[in-house]
Amino acid sequence: MKILDKDSYLKLNKWKRFVYKFKYFFLITIPRVFFKIEKLDAISYLKLNIWKRIGYKIKFFYLIKIPTFFKNLGKKIWKGIKGFGLGIAHFFKNLVVTFIEGDIWTKLSYFFMGIGSFARGQILRGILFATMELVFIFYMIFTGGYYLGKFNSLGLIQPLDADENVVVGADNSFKIMLYGALTLFFIAAFIYTWYLNIKQNRINEQLKKDEKAIADTKDDLRAVVDQQFHRTLLALPTLGIIVFTLLPIFFMILVAFTNYDANHNGVSNALFGWVGFDNFRTLFSWSAGGKNYAATFGEILVWTLIWAFFATFTNYFLGLVVAMLINKKGIKLKKVWRTVLVMSIAVPQFISLLYVKNMFAYDGIMNDIIQFFGGNRIHFLDDQASALTVRITVILINIWIGIPYLMLVTTGILMNIPADLYESASIDGANVFQQYTKITLPYMLFITGPYLLTSFTGNMNNFNVIFLLTGGAPHPQELEAGQTDLLVTWLFQLTMKDNSYSLGAVLGIIVFIVVALISLIVYNILPSTKNEEAFQ
Amino acid sequence: MARVQLENVKKIYSGNVTAVHDFNLDIGDKEFVVFVGPSGCGKSTTLRMIAGLEDISEGTLKIDGEVVNDLQPKDRQISMVFQNYALYPHLTVFENMAFPLRLDKKIRIHPWTEKEIDGLNNQIKKLQEQRDAANEKKKAAIDKKIEFIRASIEKGKEVKGFTNDEIFERVTNAAKVLGITNFLTRKPKAMSGGQRQRVAIGRAMVKDCKVFLMDEPLSNLDAKLRNQMRAEIILLRKRINTTFVYVTHDQTEAMTLGDRIVCMRDGFIMQVGTPTQLFDMPDNLFVAQFIGAPMMNTFLTKLVKDGDKYYVDLFNRKLPVSGVKADGLKAKGIQTRDILLGIRPEHLIVAKDSGEGTIPVTIEVNEMMGSEYHLHVSSEDGTKIIVRIPTINLSDKERENMVPGNVINLAFEPKAMHFFDPDSEINLLAGPEAVNSKGPIILPSEREQV
Amino acid sequence: MERRSMGMAAKRRTANIITYVILVMISIIWIIPFIFLILQAFDVGNPGLTGNVWPEKWGLGNFAYLFSSESNFLRWYFNTFIIALFACVGQTAMQFMMAYALSRFRFKLRKPMMNVMLVLGMFPGFLTMIVLYEVLNSLGMTSDNAVPGLILVNIASSGMGYYVAKGFLDTMPKSLDEAAEVDGATKFQVFYKVVMPLCKPIVIYTVLTSFMGPWGDYIFAATIAKGSQEGMNVATGLNSWLSTANIGGYYKYFCAGGVIVAIPVIILFLFLQKYYVEGVTGGAVKG
Repeated sequence: MKILDKDSYLKLNKWKRFVYKFKYFFLITIPRVFFKIEKLDAISYLKLNIWKRIGYKIKFFYLIKIPTFFKNLGKKIWKGIKGFGLGIAHFFKNLVVTFIEGDIWTKLSYFFMGIGSFARGQILRGILFATMELVFIFYMIFTGGYYLGKFNSLGLIQPLDADENVVVGADNSFKIMLYGALTLFFIAAFIYTWYLNIKQNRINEQLKKDEKAIADTKDDLRAVVDQQFHRTLLALPTLGIIVFTLLPIFFMILVAFTNYDANHNGVSNALFGWVGFDNFRTLFSWSAGGKNYAATFGEILVWTLIWAFFATFTNYFLGLVVAMLINKKGIKLKKVWRTVLVMSIAVPQFISLLYVKNMFAYDGIMNDIIQFFGGNRIHFLDDQASALTVRITVILINIWIGIPYLMLVTTGILMNIPADLYESASIDGANVFQQYTKITLPYMLFITGPYLLTSFTGNMNNFNVIFLLTGGAPHPQELEAGQTDLLVTWLFQLTMKDNSYSLGAVLGIIVFIVVALISLIVYNILPSTKNEEAFQ
Repeated sequence: MARVQLENVKKIYSGNVTAVHDFNLDIGDKEFVVFVGPSGCGKSTTLRMIAGLEDISEGTLKIDGEVVNDLQPKDRQISMVFQNYALYPHLTVFENMAFPLRLDKKIRIHPWTEKEIDGLNNQIKKLQEQRDAANEKKKAAIDKKIEFIRASIEKGKEVKGFTNDEIFERVTNAAKVLGITNFLTRKPKAMSGGQRQRVAIGRAMVKDCKVFLMDEPLSNLDAKLRNQMRAEIILLRKRINTTFVYVTHDQTEAMTLGDRIVCMRDGFIMQVGTPTQLFDMPDNLFVAQFIGAPMMNTFLTKLVKDGDKYYVDLFNRKLPVSGVKADGLKAKGIQTRDILLGIRPEHLIVAKDSGEGTIPVTIEVNEMMGSEYHLHVSSEDGTKIIVRIPTINLSDKERENMVPGNVINLAFEPKAMHFFDPDSEINLLAGPEAVNSKGPIILPSEREQV
Repeated sequence: MERRSMGMAAKRRTANIITYVILVMISIIWIIPFIFLILQAFDVGNPGLTGNVWPEKWGLGNFAYLFSSESNFLRWYFNTFIIALFACVGQTAMQFMMAYALSRFRFKLRKPMMNVMLVLGMFPGFLTMIVLYEVLNSLGMTSDNAVPGLILVNIASSGMGYYVAKGFLDTMPKSLDEAAEVDGATKFQVFYKVVMPLCKPIVIYTVLTSFMGPWGDYIFAATIAKGSQEGMNVATGLNSWLSTANIGGYYKYFCAGGVIVAIPVIILFLFLQKYYVEGVTGGAVKG
C-alpha cells in the first residue's frame, strides 16, 4: 500500500480515510510493532520504563534469540557429525597403522590379547587381557551366540502348544532378550578392552624405542592406591550402577518395543516378540481393545505437571515463610520451633501418610470435627469424592509433609544473606514486603534454582504421597487410571496389577522424555548457571 | 544539608553491656565529621543509631532540630555507604543505583507542559459549557471542579516518586561523576572492589538526602586504591555539599577528610576537634598516640620547675621547656611533678654533637622509607624510641652514620613536647572537658561529683 | 515529616507477637496427628474403629498383638532393621566413593559420567524393578527371601545419589590434599587419613538418611516381596493392614505398629539432629 503524506491524506473523503486508516493499521502498524526490532545499546535500553523493557525483551527473544539459537544448533550438529565421522576414520586408520608399523608382539596381540604385555614384562596386564579374551570366547560359544541368534525373533518355540500343554525345550523370550542385551554389552566391552590392548602395545613400543621405563606389575599395583585411585574408588559403585540401573533401563527400553504383557510373558503362556511402535500407538489411541489410553494419558500427564508444580512451589514458599518467621530478629526459642518441625521429618513418611489418610477418611477424625460443628461429612480422599476435592486435599496434605524439610533447606541459605543488604534496602525506603520480593526471593531463587528443578522432577515421580494417600482415587469408568494418579503410580499399576510390562515401559520412557525436556529448558533459562559467583 | 545533634545518646545491649556512653555531639550543617577509633570503640554503633539501624537506648537524636529517635531509617532522609558495599547482586549497576529512586513515593511538583495546560484549559471550557446548561445544584458542583483544576494549574503537576526519565538522568549523572558509565549494564560480580565501592557511593548519591553516612567504606580496598578513593571522596564532598558522617579506624583518613574528628574508645568520646587540634593539642595520651604514625614516643619522667623556667629531667639530662608550652605551664601553676613526656617521632632532631638538651641513643634498626628514615633506637637504659628523619638534606657521611650499632644524639623540639599526667593520662595543658584515657573512663561531667 | 503513629520499637513488638501466635499454631498443627496416633495406639476398645481419638479403653493390648505370634509384625520389623543396617553402611560407602572420586579427581570420563548418571536419574526408578525382580527371582532372592534382594537393590545403585556428599567435599580446600601428598601420602591415604575424617557431619548425615530410607520404602519392597507376607518390610506390611479388606480389624494395630516403628527412628534423629540439619542446609542445595 502507498503511504500518504499529510496533504494527500487530507484530500481523501471520510470513507476513503477510514479505509486508509484500516489498511495502515494492519499492513504497517502491526508488522512494525510485532515484527520489526531495533537493537538498542545498553544505555538506550536503560531509558525505557519497565513495560517497554518487557516488550523489548519479548521481541528480542523471538525475533533474535530463537533464530540465532537454531542457527547455532545447526552449526553445532554439523560440526558434531563431521567430528564423529573424522573420529571413526581416525580410529580405523590408527588400527591399520599400528598393525603395519608394530613389531611382532604387537601384531600377535591383534589375535592373542595379552601377548604383547607379557613380552614387555607386564605380567599382571597380560594375565588380565588374556583372561578377558578367553572368557569372552567361551561365553560367546556357549551362551552369547545362542541368545544373540534368537534376539531377532525372541524365540520361535512357544511354551504352550495348541492344547495348552507345556512344551519341553521351549524358548524363553525374557531370557533371550535379557541375555541378548547382555551379550551386546559384553561385545562392546570386549571391543573396548581389545582396543586398549592394542593401544598399550603401541605406546609401550614407543616407550621402548625412546628407552623410557615401562610400567611393570609393581607399578600397576601401586597405581591402584595412588595415581589411579579414582578408578579403584569408582569401580564398585560404577559396576553397581551399570548392572542395577543402566542395564535394566536399557532392557526396559527394549521391552517397550515388544508385546510383553499378561498374555505374553515369554515363559509360561506365550512368547512375545518385537512390535515396533505399536505400544506407543496404543498409548495415544482412543480405543484400543475397548480402553481409552489417550484420554487417560492426557489427563494424567496434565495432572502430574500441575501436581509437581503446586507441590514444589507451595512447599517452597511456605517453607521459606516459616523459616523467615523463625529466623526473625527478636524471636526467642528458635531451636524449639525448629525441633518441633524437624521431628515430623523423623517419623517415617508412610506412617504419617497412612495415618493422615485415615484422619481424612469418611468416618475419620476430620469429618468427626466437621460434623461436631454442624457440617456435613465430606469425601476427602476416597472414590466417592470429586476429583477436585481429592486433588486439593492431596496438595494440602503434601504441604504439611513438606514444609519442615523446606524450612531446613531455606534456613541455611537465609542465614547466609548478608544483613547489610537488608539494611541498605531499609534505608533506601523498602518496607518489609518489598524487602522480601526484591532481596530475599531473588537471592533464594538464585541459590535454590537447581534445587527447585530437581524438586520439581522429584515430585513428578513422587510415588509414596499419592499412592499411600489416595491410591489414585477417584477412578472413573472412562479412564484406565485414577484422577489423582501420577504417571509413576499408573506405571506401578500397569506392571504390578495388570502385568502390562510393555505398556509400562512405554510410560516410563515418556516420563523420562518429559522430565528431560523440562530439565533442559529450565536449566538453560536459570540465571544460576550463568552467574555462578554473583553472590560470593 | 542538616544539623545533626546527639544529646546524651547511649546504647545499652541486653545483659547490661554498654556500647556507647553518653555521646554528645553537635554536627553543623554541611560539616564533614569523622568518627575514628580502634575496633569495638562504638563508632559504627553510633553511626547506625544515626541511621536508625540500631535503637537508641537513652538520649535524643535530632536531625534538623526534629527528634527522630522513633523514625524508620527510610523516613530520616539519609544515605548510607556500607563497608561491604551491600550491592544487590542480581541487579545491574544501573538498577542498583536506581533502586532507592524507584522506591521513592514522595509527591513532587513538576511544571505542566504546554500540551497539558491546553488540555486542562479545554477541560475548564467544557465544564463551563456544562455549567451554562445546568441547574443550580449542579452549578455549585461544577464550580468546585473548575476551581480545583484552576488551582492545580497554578500549583503544577503532582507526581508520585520519580519518573523514568528523571531516574535515568540522575543515575547517569552520578555515574558520570564517579566514572562508572561504562559499567551501567554490568552486574556487581563482574567488577573490582574499587568499582563496586563507587557504585555503592553512586547509589547513596542519587537520592536527596540530609545526611550522608559512610561506614568504613575504604577498609576493604588495597592501600593504593585507598589513597585514590580518599581524594575522590574529598571531591565528592565538594559536589554533594551535604552533612557527612564518616566512620573509620584509619587515622590518616580521619585527618585528611574531616572538618572535625571525634576520637572514640570503648564507647566514650576521647576528644572532639579539628585535625590540627587533635594533632597539636591532644587532650589525652590515647588521642596523642592514636593520631599520627608512627606512634608518639612516651617517657615516664619528671618535670622540674626551676624558678621561672621548666625543664624535663630525662635520662639524667636536662631538656629545657620553652615558648608556648612553658607559658602554658606557668599559667596553670604547674609545679615539679612526675609526668609522661610525649614527643612525636618527626619532632626528634638528630643533633650534630652531644650537648645540653640532647640524649645519646644507639641505633637498632633503620627502616628506609624512601624519603625518610625511621630509626628505631634505644636509650642508655634500654627505652625504645622511634625517630623520623627526612633524607633529602642528609649528607652522604650522615647517611653512612645511620646504621645499626652507631650512637647518635637526639634533641627534642621544644614546641612539640607534650606533658601528660601519669595517672589519668590527661594533657596538663588541656581544658577542663578533657577525658582521662587511663583506667576506668570518667566523663568530665561526672568528675565534679567525685 | 511522617506518621508518628507507632515508634519503631512498638511496631516491632506487635510484629513479634503475631509471629509467636503463628508459630504456636504451626507447632500445634504439626504435632497433633502424632499425638492422636499415640492415643489411638493405646485404645484397646474396638480395634477397627477409626473415628475416636480419645481411647475408649486404655491398655497395651494392641502392642501385645504386635508381638504375638498372630501377626507378622516382628518379622517385618526384623526384616526392615536388617535392610536398614546394611543399607546405611553400604550406601554411605558407595556414595562417598563416588563423591570423592568425582570431586577430587579430574579425568576424561568425569563429565560424561556425571551426565550419564543425571540422565539415568531421569527415568523413574521403578522401571528397573521389573527386570531386577525377574533376575532376583531366578536367584531365589524374592518373596520370602526378599531381604537379601532388597539389600542388594538398595546398595548397588546408590552411588548415583552422590550429590550431597560431593557438594560438601567440593567446599573442602584442595590445599589439604596437596599438603598431604607433599608429605608423602598416596591418594588412598589422603582419602582415609585426611579428608574423610573431616567429613564427619556429612557422613553422619548420610548414614542417618540411608538408615531411615528402608523404613519408609514402599515401592521397592512391595515389588520384590511380591506375594509373600514373610518378606515384607514394615511399610508394606502395615499398609496391607490398612487395605480395605482388612481395615475392619487392624486400624489400632496399625497405630501401635506406627508408634513402635517411629520411636527408635525419632530417638536416633534427636541425637543426630544437628548433623541432619547441617547436611540439609549445607549440602542439599549446593549440589
